[in-house]
Amino acid sequence: MARIGVFVCHCGENIGRTVDCAKVAELCGQVPGVVHSVDYKYMCSDPGQQMVKAAIAEKGLTGVVVAACSPHMHEKTFRRATAGGGLNPFLCEMANVREHCSWIHEDRDAATVKAVDITKTIVEKVKRNVPLSTIRIPVTRRALVIGGGIAGIQAALDIADGGREVILVEKDPSIGGHMSQLSETFPTLDCSQCILTPRMVEVYQHPRIKLYSYSEVESVEGYIGNFKVKIRRKARSIDEDKCNGCGACTKTCPNKKIPSEFDCGLGKRTAIYVPFPQAVPNLPTIDRAKCLLFMNRAKGRPDTCKKCAEACSKEAIDFDQVDRFVTEDVGAIVVATGYQLYTIGKDQAKPNIKGYGEYGYGTIPDVIDGLQFERLASASGPTSGKIQRPSDGKEPKRIVFLQCIGSRDPQKGMDYCSKICCMYVAKHTMLYHHKVHDGQATVFYMDIRAAGKGYDEFSRRAIEEEGARYIRGRVSKMWRDGDVIKIQGFDTLAGEPIEMDADMVVLATAMRPQPGIDSLAQKLSVSYDQHGFINEAHPKLRPVETNTAGVYVAGACQAPRDIPDAVAMASATASKVLGLFANEMLEREPTVARVDESSCAGCFHCERVCAYGAVEHKEIKDRAGNVLRVIAYVNPGVCQGCGTCQATCPSKSVELAGFTDEQIWSEIQALGV
Amino acid sequence: MTELRELARRLLSEGTVNAVLGWEEGPRGARPAFVTTPDGADRLIFDPRCVHDLASYLSPRRPHLKKLGKVAVVLKPCDARAVAGLIRETQIPRENVVLVGVRCGGVLADPESTAPLSETTVADRCRGCPDREAKLADHVVGTAGAGFPGPSRRAQKIEELAAMPVDRRWDFWQAELSKCVRCHACRQVCPLCFCERCMADKSLPRWIESSPHARGNIAWHITRAMHLAGRCVDCGECERVCPEGIPLGLITRKIAQVVSDRYDFRPSDDPAVPAPVGTYRMDDPQEFIL
Ligand SMILES: Cc1cc2nc3c(=O)[nH]c(=O)nc-3n(C[C@H](O)[C@H](O)[C@H](O)COP(=O)(O)OP(=O)(O)OC[C@H]3O[C@@H](n4cnc5c(N)ncnc54)[C@H](O)[C@@H]3O)c2cc1C
Ligand code: SF4
Ligand code: SF4
Ligand code: SF4
Ligand code: SF4
Repeated sequence: MARIGVFVCHCGENIGRTVDCAKVAELCGQVPGVVHSVDYKYMCSDPGQQMVKAAIAEKGLTGVVVAACSPHMHEKTFRRATAGGGLNPFLCEMANVREHCSWIHEDRDAATVKAVDITKTIVEKVKRNVPLSTIRIPVTRRALVIGGGIAGIQAALDIADGGREVILVEKDPSIGGHMSQLSETFPTLDCSQCILTPRMVEVYQHPRIKLYSYSEVESVEGYIGNFKVKIRRKARSIDEDKCNGCGACTKTCPNKKIPSEFDCGLGKRTAIYVPFPQAVPNLPTIDRAKCLLFMNRAKGRPDTCKKCAEACSKEAIDFDQVDRFVTEDVGAIVVATGYQLYTIGKDQAKPNIKGYGEYGYGTIPDVIDGLQFERLASASGPTSGKIQRPSDGKEPKRIVFLQCIGSRDPQKGMDYCSKICCMYVAKHTMLYHHKVHDGQATVFYMDIRAAGKGYDEFSRRAIEEEGARYIRGRVSKMWRDGDVIKIQGFDTLAGEPIEMDADMVVLATAMRPQPGIDSLAQKLSVSYDQHGFINEAHPKLRPVETNTAGVYVAGACQAPRDIPDAVAMASATASKVLGLFANEMLEREPTVARVDESSCAGCFHCERVCAYGAVEHKEIKDRAGNVLRVIAYVNPGVCQGCGTCQATCPSKSVELAGFTDEQIWSEIQALGV
Repeated sequence: MTELRELARRLLSEGTVNAVLGWEEGPRGARPAFVTTPDGADRLIFDPRCVHDLASYLSPRRPHLKKLGKVAVVLKPCDARAVAGLIRETQIPRENVVLVGVRCGGVLADPESTAPLSETTVADRCRGCPDREAKLADHVVGTAGAGFPGPSRRAQKIEELAAMPVDRRWDFWQAELSKCVRCHACRQVCPLCFCERCMADKSLPRWIESSPHARGNIAWHITRAMHLAGRCVDCGECERVCPEGIPLGLITRKIAQVVSDRYDFRPSDDPAVPAPVGTYRMDDPQEFIL
């Protein structure tokens, strides 16, 4: 026989003001099976918890119902108290009479009736609860970090410094990400490379970091603490063990006119190339799409050029190298794949994203984007830091910056704020002013969003001390007339149209997630928003976790981020990972799905709908080892307890422990409908 | 017919299979037959009276077939779609069955009928059926008639129902479903109702009231319709066996139409085409998610 105790909380005035708690306790005391029913001012206080513990012992309770706030708030508290009283914690449940009742009603009598009903449903459920015990699963204490930008670098270093091994996978030939392309960084104007490259080297030399550059994640299996990751090491055409990075090969390559990705097309590179001098690892890569030998091979012609191989004294060039695969076991994964910039061209990767016809779809040569400006301003860039416009190499005396290009514009398909542009445009006007003393920088902006330590001061400095002219408004049209760019816009503060000539225009284009983020997210079973940014598990309370346990997110792949943000997130993921790795075994809530083996039909609808890949196939064999049936098995380590399978199973053969059909059904029955 | 019998004889005498499942002449028209010896192959027939969907026998829940080991089964194009469904939903390994397709130009509404196949006697579901032979089959035998053009009367009735005001439609279904005696013949005959234990038989909790009365009947038929959404192959068996003559095809076809319009899925005899349940596509309509 059930012996249930009901504990009704006033939550100070929060519940007591609208609900007659003494009445609720009295009426619930009359429910069959309830042997103890009391109310108290603050159930979660220490005396309140003592009441629960004492009643369990004195009344021999078999179940505890606390009618109070949301289980999100205090379920843990009362389950701990129940365990302290000697009862299995899962025999305790909360009836939410605050968020679901007192806070949303005014009529005291009606609210009291409703509170009784809510409590009764939970009483019926608890009568059918069974003891559950936490699941313990082993943890592989090594981490995978995907993406070697500043976020990935920071996460890898923090985890490795915390004593755990890290596998760092970077898709490009070098780590460094976008930060390696920047000139100087707001808000302090320190040189980006100078602060970044020591960390890149540290990654390379760290005894606990294994770097796979020019590699991508092929597939991910398993679950928190126990992932199996297959990594594709793309063919670099270089034997990494033999190459000493002397660079003789790159000097002899005859194909020297390839637009350099690192210089955003403003500089050139060879077909065998090292993206930039401080690249880590300092190894060349053959771009097979541009190499003469491979272009000939693709057409079925014999190998002609082998100049790089001839120049290499180490015989490190390997034209026949193929993609290789390695598998790594890891317990946690950090996604740090960063961003790309939106381009204003006509052709866009997604149908909902539109280009800028009004700016000629990016066809005017002296209209560049922010990263290109970074390369122009960088001492290591294609112009050695001189601001020269791409069309004729002249120094622009009138430079115009346009903010919010794509960002905050639902019509272009991106309704979000890219967050960093206000700041880097201010930075750009300063860098320009430092280099072109007689030039005039003009900025068209919508608002200035400079919330951050030292940020507002920084952008004000651009206006007040460094001569930038800020116009609030948008540019409606832009075209080329001889060698000037004609600009037509509207000054919304003056309330009048504005026209001006510019020698060069810099667009602060929107930050978008990396291409291919959706397929990576699908491999990891993490969700992403309509733009492709990875979703965090909770926007406030779990900002670096994802909806898949053991997978974390850092940097600009989650939302537009600047460097301080990206680094803070990265360190946060590292602390989460190190916390996870603190124990050899991992404890999980036992509210996971279980399959009724006798009735499962093996249709595997559950497998198809499970977003976490938790459902496996299990063979039921006879004594001789013949397979009788194949049925579903839920791996408790992977299951997140979402209940989707339970709702889908046609024969109702899979149920969540703690939320069985029978338990939920009895709750509904208790309402008498 | 000789072609079919020859093939069956060969499969049995060479030991490729232990039984051939087809149709034979019975006391009241055509009926399903299990042939286990080469000589028995002469019993096999195929003509427009062979309406039964033999795929139902392949479900692992049918013990008599399980005992026989590897079998061959004779299939019309619609039956092949059911076999594909069973393979897709991991009920039978493809390599465990030999599939013998028979070319089909439509069947009669009634296996006991002696009337020749004509515009008036053909099963309504065969009107507009585009398939003449099963692509999934290992062997294909026979010749097929030209088939019958659509639309079926049923399709017209579905349109008529859709055009009705909601309360009149509700009245129509109330009246039809109140006839249901809950014999569950529709479930037993369905090749895709293969659950080990149907949720309608579950008692803890009892999801669906088991006695034939309005509430339970509606719950049963809504559940059946939902469980067959994107899975029903239109073999017509449920409607044929219903002792109360309830037009079950109107329900299954309406749902099939919705699945086809919204998720671009039609049951085919290709088991590799993923079923709509559990298939997620980026462009799936999802305006119902608030
Ligand atoms: C014009 C401009 C100026 C800026 N100036 C400043 C500034 O002054 N100060 C400041 O704080 N911030 C600035 N920023 C922002 C700064 O660039 C970002 O905050 C920072 O680079 C984010 O780092 P990240 O590691 O998240 O992403 P990224 O730098 O984009 O790095 C991501 C890395 O992941 C790799 N990757 C991507 N996909 C995969 C995959 N599938 N598998 C493996 N690897 C993958 C990429 O190759 C890349 O190396 C500026 C940005 C722009 C556009
Ligand atoms: S959906 Fe249900 S019947 Fe089908 S495999 Fe899963 S648990 Fe078994
Ligand atoms: S409850 Fe079911 S669907 Fe959800 S994660 Fe667990 S097994 Fe997958
Ligand atoms: S066969 Fe007819 S009467 Fe029997 S359960 Fe099905 S619909 Fe009802
Ligand atoms: S629901 Fe009816 S028509 Fe559809 S597959 Fe089952 S028996 Fe055949």
